[in-house]
Amino acid sequence: MFTSIKYVWKENTENLYRIYCIAKYELLADMRDSKFGIFWNFASPAIQVLTYWLVFGIAWGRKPVGNIPYLAWLVAGYSAWWFVKPCIERGCNSIFSKTNVITKMKFPVSVLPATICVKEFFNHCFMLAIAFVTLFLYGYFPDAYWLGLIYYVVCAFAFSEAVALILSVLNMLWRDVKKLVTSLMRMLMYFSPVIWECHFSDSVPHHGILNFIMKLNPLYYVINGYREAIFYEKGFWEHPALTLYFWAVTLVLFAVGCVLMYKFRRKFIDLI
Amino acid sequence: MSNTEYAVELEHISKIYKLKKKDAGSSGAERFYALRDISLKIKKGDVVGILGTNGSGKSTLAQILAGISEIDEGNIAIHGEQALISINTGLNNQLTGLENISVKGALLGFNKRKIQEITDGVIEFAELGDFLYQPVKTYSSGMKSRLGFSISLALDPDILIVDEALSVGDKGFAKKCLKRMQQLRDERDKTILFISHSLPQVRGFCKTGLWIDGGRLKEMGEIDAVCDHYSDYVEELNDLPKKEKKKLLDEKLKERIIIEEKRSFWSRLRRKAGL
Repeated sequence: MFTSIKYVWKENTENLYRIYCIAKYELLADMRDSKFGIFWNFASPAIQVLTYWLVFGIAWGRKPVGNIPYLAWLVAGYSAWWFVKPCIERGCNSIFSKTNVITKMKFPVSVLPATICVKEFFNHCFMLAIAFVTLFLYGYFPDAYWLGLIYYVVCAFAFSEAVALILSVLNMLWRDVKKLVTSLMRMLMYFSPVIWECHFSDSVPHHGILNFIMKLNPLYYVINGYREAIFYEKGFWEHPALTLYFWAVTLVLFAVGCVLMYKFRRKFIDLI
Repeated sequence: MSNTEYAVELEHISKIYKLKKKDAGSSGAERFYALRDISLKIKKGDVVGILGTNGSGKSTLAQILAGISEIDEGNIAIHGEQALISINTGLNNQLTGLENISVKGALLGFNKRKIQEITDGVIEFAELGDFLYQPVKTYSSGMKSRLGFSISLALDPDILIVDEALSVGDKGFAKKCLKRMQQLRDERDKTILFISHSLPQVRGFCKTGLWIDGGRLKEMGEIDAVCDHYSDYVEELNDLPKKEKKKLLDEKLKERIIIEEKRSFWSRLRRKAGL
């Protein structure tokens, strides 16, 4: 197991410039594809947030969460989700989509999930810009606690990379994985505190257990973390148990991903 | 680098592909020898032309020699850095020529300095001119190939593997690339493995011929002799009546297939994992 972790880690750290370049130019190519280019990097998440806000905030008349207006609350959580989701969905396809490269040249396959995560990180910066503008309009301004966002971005990155590593290999074995993941991600959104708090009120039977189960979702930690850093002036050290749990899950997933990657590293070409 | 006089040593290597079953009802998966029991040695500084009809296993051999694909049986030893020259891989149609030098360079694993170093040479070789700042999708195929080829060459490996790379683009392009490779052959003493269907190209460029047929090594030796035998064989094959030709090819294909007992899901999984 340790050889495989070392292998993946080494391959990734030795190819940092390669990862950065691939991510950068893929993003650039995406932008060149359309006429308005960079505009869409802002527009598509903005439209998404707007949709949820119209449906849940206006049409269903969601009350403010605590004392935070719903749109502000939504945009903070949604930006985290908008980072993790494409990382996992596209990361799943990261090896297969580079078929023409890995069959034609010697290529460190294990860096491919990382290239997707880096690319989505760039996209995440656009999303954060939208989120910040919205928050400023609502009168929330940065304070020292906002620095916690950096920590949670790292968390989100680590978690997505670990998951993408596993899924990208599984997707090479069974192409069904990608379809499964796409469907499951839609479900996962509703079980993560993206558009609702994922908190059952006392009137729901078994609310204690249900709330506990909700917290088992590692994304709960990340998405709530974004909000806590922005609204609640709380640092990650205030949930030691959840922090420990999150990193334990992430490290286990990463180890599993490394083992899979190491085991199949020379087989990918025959699995296409 | 080691001091052995050989660049490539293969001992009884085989490569097996799995085939999908024709009829779902039959039990057992079929496996297919892409390459079967090939042993050969290639001297350092040799220029080898690899010949063979379609589907004879040339490209598989190239992938194995390039270290991309793994063998299923036998031993392989490669002394020196090897690289497959793939022309159109890694070029992005949306990006400009200049950006593509960075893209492909990064894919090949160059660092920033190396990319800057090669840029001028690539621009000159590819004759891009004003197209340097245009997206690659506007390029002619020759221009695109020149761009890809020259970036690949910057890898500067000890062993070059060129798989039908020169069949794209026009004659001028092939000539230019050949000239460049001749330079590498004569001045830098590189080992070059050259796969092409163009016999005149192979004759003019290579020293040793290597003929693969039906996944097996048929002949290896002096280039002119191998080329003669190969062209005789192809002509003979083409002269055969259609029916007989099909029968012959079918027989050859059958030889390469291994029928297997049905395996359980878990043992298949284990084999996928290479256990």
